[in-house]
Amino acid sequence: MAEADELVAIEEVLQQLERISFVAQRDARAALPAIRGFGPAPARAWIETARDLFQHDRECGKSFMRHSERLAENTGVVEAWTGQSREFLQWVNSHYALEGFLAQADRVWSSWGEAGEREWFALGLRWCGRSLADARAYFETPFDRLDGGQGPAGLRMLIEPAEKLYDERGLALDCYLAGAPVARNMVGDAGLLNWARRGADLLAAGRSRGEAYFRMESEEGMKLLLEALPGYRARMHGRFLQLLLRAWLEADIPLADGNWKPGQGRPMLETDGRRLYLPAVFGDRDEAIVAVQHGAAHLAFDSYAQERLEALFRRAGTEHPPLDDQSRITWRPLFAPFAERMFRFQVLFDLAEDLRVNARMAQRIPGFLQRLVDLAVDRPAPEGAAGVYHRFALDAHRALLAADRGLSGKDARLDPRLQRMLDPDASVIDAWEVAERLFGDPEFPEIGIDERQHAYLPGLSLNAARPVYPQRLRDGDLSDFRDVGDAHEEHRFVREKQDEAPEQDPAGVQKDPDADINMPREETSGSGGRIGVGIPQPAQVAKRGVAWQPRTGGIPYPEWDYREQRMISDWVNLNERILDEENAAAAEGILAEHADTLKRLTRGLEMQRPMRMAPLRRQLDGDELDIEAVTDFVADKRAGLSPKAFIYRRRTVQHRDTAVLLLADMSTSIMARHPGGQGRIVERMRSGLMLFAEAIDRIGDPFAISGFASKQRDQVHYYWLKDFSEPLDDTVRGRIAGISGRLASRMGAAIRHSTRAMQRVASQHRLLLILSDGRPADYDDGGDARYLHEDTRMAMKEALDTGVHPFCITLDPSGQEYLPAIFGPGHYTIVDRVDELPRRLPEIYLRLRR
Amino acid sequence: MKNLLNRLRGVERDVLESPADADAPFYVPQRDEIDIFRAAWSRRLPVMLKGPTGCGKTRFLEHMAHVLGKPLVTVACHEDLTSSDLVGRFLLEGEETVWQDGPLTRAVKEGGICYLDEIVEARTDTTVVIHPLTDHRRQLPLDKRARIIDAHEDFMLVISYNPGYQTVLKDLKPSTKQRFVGIHFDYPSEAIERQIVAKESGGLDADRVERLVAAGRRARALKDHGLEEATSTRALAYAGELMQAGLPPRTACRAAMIAPITDDPELIEALEEIVAAHFPETDGAPTGSHG
Repeated sequence: MAEADELVAIEEVLQQLERISFVAQRDARAALPAIRGFGPAPARAWIETARDLFQHDRECGKSFMRHSERLAENTGVVEAWTGQSREFLQWVNSHYALEGFLAQADRVWSSWGEAGEREWFALGLRWCGRSLADARAYFETPFDRLDGGQGPAGLRMLIEPAEKLYDERGLALDCYLAGAPVARNMVGDAGLLNWARRGADLLAAGRSRGEAYFRMESEEGMKLLLEALPGYRARMHGRFLQLLLRAWLEADIPLADGNWKPGQGRPMLETDGRRLYLPAVFGDRDEAIVAVQHGAAHLAFDSYAQERLEALFRRAGTEHPPLDDQSRITWRPLFAPFAERMFRFQVLFDLAEDLRVNARMAQRIPGFLQRLVDLAVDRPAPEGAAGVYHRFALDAHRALLAADRGLSGKDARLDPRLQRMLDPDASVIDAWEVAERLFGDPEFPEIGIDERQHAYLPGLSLNAARPVYPQRLRDGDLSDFRDVGDAHEEHRFVREKQDEAPEQDPAGVQKDPDADINMPREETSGSGGRIGVGIPQPAQVAKRGVAWQPRTGGIPYPEWDYREQRMISDWVNLNERILDEENAAAAEGILAEHADTLKRLTRGLEMQRPMRMAPLRRQLDGDELDIEAVTDFVADKRAGLSPKAFIYRRRTVQHRDTAVLLLADMSTSIMARHPGGQGRIVERMRSGLMLFAEAIDRIGDPFAISGFASKQRDQVHYYWLKDFSEPLDDTVRGRIAGISGRLASRMGAAIRHSTRAMQRVASQHRLLLILSDGRPADYDDGGDARYLHEDTRMAMKEALDTGVHPFCITLDPSGQEYLPAIFGPGHYTIVDRVDELPRRLPEIYLRLRR
Repeated sequence: MKNLLNRLRGVERDVLESPADADAPFYVPQRDEIDIFRAAWSRRLPVMLKGPTGCGKTRFLEHMAHVLGKPLVTVACHEDLTSSDLVGRFLLEGEETVWQDGPLTRAVKEGGICYLDEIVEARTDTTVVIHPLTDHRRQLPLDKRARIIDAHEDFMLVISYNPGYQTVLKDLKPSTKQRFVGIHFDYPSEAIERQIVAKESGGLDADRVERLVAAGRRARALKDHGLEEATSTRALAYAGELMQAGLPPRTACRAAMIAPITDDPELIEALEEIVAAHFPETDGAPTGSHG
């Protein structure tokens, strides 16, 4: 066709377009000049494509024309992408996919060249054939996110498993793409298919569960990935880190899982003033140790002391720190005045404050500074703006270290502006002032949110990452620091879990990259005020005798009121209940899982087993002579005495005669997730009780197992898992395997009931083992922890008076704060490794009965 | 004949022997225990030493016995200890019967300090034997010989008792407990512990002693968190001795303070971390960087 014909044809198409739509014609004319430069033939092909697309779908046509000018300019061709766009004519509603394609085709072209672009397009087109929604996801995902830095080959590797799984299982691409690029970084191309297949399985089981997996918002998704992630896994070493804090600070600072996810930048420790939140992995062990020690230093040296924070807010001009719905202080108002320079100030403020607490901590922990400095030196220093802050912080710590060693010289020179931070009486307020002074120094460049994380030395982290629960002033003394997670919180926890809602309500979280701002929206549902700290008071106060309907049919027990120093008779109502949650199948599972332990235990049991024939000395009759007794006998006789003929030895079953009742706390808290591993505490309890039962059954001691839970004073439930007279059979095993947590733990009444039950057992020694995971608490104790403590102590005394020896085994690491007062020293033990419970429980008993 | 030889070689000695004229066993008082003991001694009141393993109960008593110049008879109590093991029994010798006094009887007769170590381990019927000795009567009845022995004026009874959790079912009877003057022991204060470790280790340098003691005290905070017995002063002294014998500090600490008390891998890691923080150099050469 001649050139003139082409031009006429173009003009014809333009007129057609004008008849269809003014907009179409206008857009075409706008883009046409840029296209004409490539010659009349491509221009005609272009305008025909534009028309066809417009007629096919107005939006398609508009997109095409809108992007054309840019595409032509950036790619230097027209035919290629024009032809590719025509392909979208095959499908109705292909507009979004086309828009995504056009929006980044030129960038793909310039990055990967023509062949690369063609491959990218071809892969996407195949998805159009499968599902347009998936094709849209494909084209809309930035191509450089898909290739993992390896160009078209990387893209192919990423998409291949998705195609396979789409064909096999119908796995949607948009779902897959949510996590695949990050997952690939961690498990590699080879592991990707397995990762996705697991996700597809979950998706088949439940949509929200599967989607959460792919979005990496669920534990299942993370678990698999984290196993492949290099670094030091904090959770696996949680107990070690906890022991370190225990040793250095003599405090049990709770460690919890943070919400850091792979692909979210540098893993950092966070704190809310009550706990330290650890990311899933640290770079290495040293970094983890430094991070935990540094985090604890903030708690010990009052970075979050209420008094100080209030003073800080006053300085900043905010009269009262506003508390959020959980009575936490949020940081936002403090940093708000710095507007867009907020991150710069935040880094300087943290820098000064970190230096202060580290200087104090170095007094406490030898080698702390050295390790921190070594780490910072070993790691590559960040570049750019973050590098300036990093260097400044490192120099300051170096100076601190040098001064600590009594060295002088260049290294030992601390920036004079930071000198104040080393005073033992400096506080977070001084850190603020120092930061303000540094803020005025133009040497410190502006820093953005992405760079901010690299400005911190290894192990150090954002101090204002989370809203904090204000603390009292401690000045280094953490001895009474404890996890104040109260019954209410546990209760809520379980309720949330039972709902099994998707892990987090995505709508409730603002997708701001700054963790500080990224807080769930305020909870506005429900009732109740936001004022007050501590255990929420019950809405209805059970005042003695007022508006209280006694529940009948139970066994009344008295309770000790320390405030009045008297027993209140018939105050508690206890019901024996049947536990109807049997789970015989799980029982077998537990036994199988712990078969090894049981086998090992059995060997130990042989030693203690009454079946072992123990020689009884000095008997009146027996199988053989007791030589020593005979000598005595003959000697006594010769000496003119008339000894009794206790001269035989008899081998017989030795009877130790100990009866044991294991009383398990079955309150809600046992349903909590196991703090340092997989699963829940209750699972370990089931295993523990099971092994205990098996072990004791083998020894032959009379034993019983019971559990208790309570809901206010009139409903204490007492569950017999195994009575003294019952044999250990599958029913009992099923009951043990089926226990679950409910309600609160009013321990005193349960101990009294157990004591009463034990009095009916004829035995020389009576041991009452109490298995608990926290302090006694109930809904109606009004937040007065001491009340039930004192009552439990009294119940324990009563038990002792009747010849029952109570002994408490607790899973609560802070147990030594209150157990000595309740049970007395030596009458309790702490199993702070929940995983060990199954093994320890029988061991403890064997040790006690020895 | 063999007995005589052994006695000459000094391997074997009589249980009831007055201390030789050497220096008293090393002991640094922690609080007022020496005063209490002296007062109790002056009135010949029975004494109960309470405290955790390895905090110096036995050493204290050795020291006191030496200072007072009285023989010390120690009986380690166990489950099968019978009263005749304490009091004595008839033996056959040729055609004769010979009464042989038990250690307690000898101490009662000849005047000495009788120390019943870990008394709770003994059966309750055994412990009742000591009742008449512990009150104003100060008598030991010998049922078999139908005799009653009035205690020598220098006789004194001392028991030790470690209130650990193994004692739930076999605590001392209250009637036994209340007959004693109680002296409570705990691990000594840091300064005293340093003196002890320096002395016991045979002259370890002050820097390493300081670190060792500091590490030991940190490790003690882990009691009840997997450690059933805390790191004792004795263990610290052993570690010091091992260092003195040429072991690098970390190795010495691992051998004396960590390996014996736990098999729990995380606990071991934590303890080693504590030791490493106090002994940063693997070669053990002190650099004065102790922070």
